[in-house]
Amino acid sequence: MKTPALIRQAIRSMDRYRLRSAFMMLGSLVGAAALTFVVSLAQGAEAKMLRTVKQVVGDGSVIVAGGGSRMMGGPHAAAGRLTIDDVAAAVQQVPGIEAWDPQAVVRETVRHADSTTEVRVIGGSEHWSRVWGRGVARGESFDRSAIEGSSRVALIGETVAHRIFGAENPIGGDIRIGAVPFRVIGVLEPFGVDMHGMDRDDEIVVPLSTLMRRVTNIDAIGAAKIVVADPRREDTVAASLRQALRARHRLDRDRPDDFSIMTSSQVQGMVSTIERVLWLYVPLVGGIVLIIGGGVAATLMLASVNERTAEIGLRTAIGARPADIRWQFIAETAATVVLGGLGGVVLGLAGVQLVALHLPLDSTVSWAAVAISVLASIVVGFAAGVAPAQRAARLNPVDALR
Amino acid sequence: MIDLESIGKTYTRQTGESVRALDDVSLRIERGEFVAIVGASGSGKSTLMNVLGLLDEPTEGRYRFDAEDVSNLSLAARAGFRNARIGFVFQSFHLLARTSALENVELPLLYSDRADIAGLGERALAAVGLADRMQHTPAELSGGQQQRVAIARALVNEPDLLLADEPTGNLDAAVAAEIMSILQSLNRAGRTIVLVTHDPAMASAARRLVRLAHGRVVSDGPIASGDITLAPTVLEAR
Ligand SMILES: Nc1ncnc2c1ncn2[C@@H]1O[C@H](COP(=O)(O)OP(=O)(O)OP(=O)(O)O)[C@@H](O)[C@H]1O
Ligand SMILES: [Mg+2]
Repeated sequence: MKTPALIRQAIRSMDRYRLRSAFMMLGSLVGAAALTFVVSLAQGAEAKMLRTVKQVVGDGSVIVAGGGSRMMGGPHAAAGRLTIDDVAAAVQQVPGIEAWDPQAVVRETVRHADSTTEVRVIGGSEHWSRVWGRGVARGESFDRSAIEGSSRVALIGETVAHRIFGAENPIGGDIRIGAVPFRVIGVLEPFGVDMHGMDRDDEIVVPLSTLMRRVTNIDAIGAAKIVVADPRREDTVAASLRQALRARHRLDRDRPDDFSIMTSSQVQGMVSTIERVLWLYVPLVGGIVLIIGGGVAATLMLASVNERTAEIGLRTAIGARPADIRWQFIAETAATVVLGGLGGVVLGLAGVQLVALHLPLDSTVSWAAVAISVLASIVVGFAAGVAPAQRAARLNPVDALR
Repeated sequence: MIDLESIGKTYTRQTGESVRALDDVSLRIERGEFVAIVGASGSGKSTLMNVLGLLDEPTEGRYRFDAEDVSNLSLAARAGFRNARIGFVFQSFHLLARTSALENVELPLLYSDRADIAGLGERALAAVGLADRMQHTPAELSGGQQQRVAIARALVNEPDLLLADEPTGNLDAAVAAEIMSILQSLNRAGRTIVLVTHDPAMASAARRLVRLAHGRVVSDGPIASGDITLAPTVLEAR
């Protein structure tokens, strides 16, 4: 039989045995949907994660954070505090450091005219922009004199600007952070949503000294990022910093660190572990579902062959060769499973679009995922057809027609 | 056209017991004949039909079709031969459900390597008087109409030989007579037909009668009056 006729026959049969076909499709539908959905999500999440991680912890940087989770301010014990002086002293002792920036983060109410909103307010040094790799899109950043003079100047994110200034030009505008008046001197480069799902354009950056002395009364910082001159020496620098900080905090040998220290390669290691899980186990699950679906399809098809002995006998009598019968059943199984798979891909992609509306993801259509799912359902479909086709082709027409 | 020489067929049951279904059957059938094969149940009629139709292989003897020895063809070669040269009509019509009459009729063309197949299905349906039922599915057709579709399917590839095994077994007398008269007119138009039946009334439509008993040919000759009794319905149909 010629291929177009074979495909037409397969489609006719799917139409003749609708219920059976629907059940046969279910397995590949669910499998391909899971595969597409998960691989797309994984790829989207991975791209996003890599991008933010690169931005936050680029190559050759070390992050030092205070012992507790005091990133958002709040009460804290005297022990385990990380101060600017701690970091400054440690950095003094360790060679090979290019730049560093201490950071403190608080949530505060921000006002302009009648608009009020609550945002993250980040305090940083004059090295802020360089160390974190983010500048201003409009206006200008603050410099050393602003830090020394605790100037009340602020850089605001696009989201904040839009929320409290609307269409008005925010540069030069007056805002109040808590009760303290600030002047907006710049708008931050857009960043988007980070891997934690936080809108990083919904924040304000001010000089750390101003934040600590005028807005809140904290003297501890949440974290500091240290950029190492030679990225290959990142681990040595991290080790030396750790020793210096332990000495400053007067920690005995048997006391654990009251701060945490992490290098960019450690962070990236964590990311690649997550990636491995996503890329290995999750598609595996989708693959297994698909294979189980293939088993179900093969079983249903075998039952169908048993039911259709008369049809097979008739086809044989009127001239179908064993190969024609074999291909008919392979084509029928494969077409059904692949159609289910295609449906699954569409469903999976729709699911991804839906999720992407609520989660911070980058690419929402992974063509790799589509290709894997389609390919997998083709392979499974053909494989599932082999046994039923073999049985059908072996039927004796004389017995089948009796 | 057909030359069977000392054909024997022995079935070996799973129990090891063997059944002699055909025993030393020699038979020649010429182009244009209309042969009825009759005999008691279990006499070997269907077995002979399956051998003639290359659906089954004899265990002994030689089968020549148009001087070509077809006794030992491969499965695929036999399929090709059946497709091009033989048409089958069965007691149960074996039409594909939920499939139009036309599509059913065109089914053999799927397995044919003929190029000029356009219009053959329509022509075959018209030949059995169903030109106005092409798009009907089997469920929408009467038993007699379904068998006519099956006959059209057997004719679509213009075979040399038409084999019919109890084609009227599932039909009532009036409809059966209708089917027989279709076969008769096909034969008058030159088609070679072998009909298996145990109904003498149906056999009377043929021109030659072969009687089997216990797998052997016990009589063979032209149909003469008195050989068989004709049912009134058949007489009317003629
Ligand atoms: N596959 C088989 N295995 C074993 N014995 C068989 C097989 N097919 C047919 N037979 C036997 O061969 C003999 C001839 O059978 P066949 O079907 O040719 O009879 P028949 O004349 O067509 O009978 P009926 O009029 O009942 O259709 C019977 O005894 C039958 O039991
Ligand atoms: Mg029989």
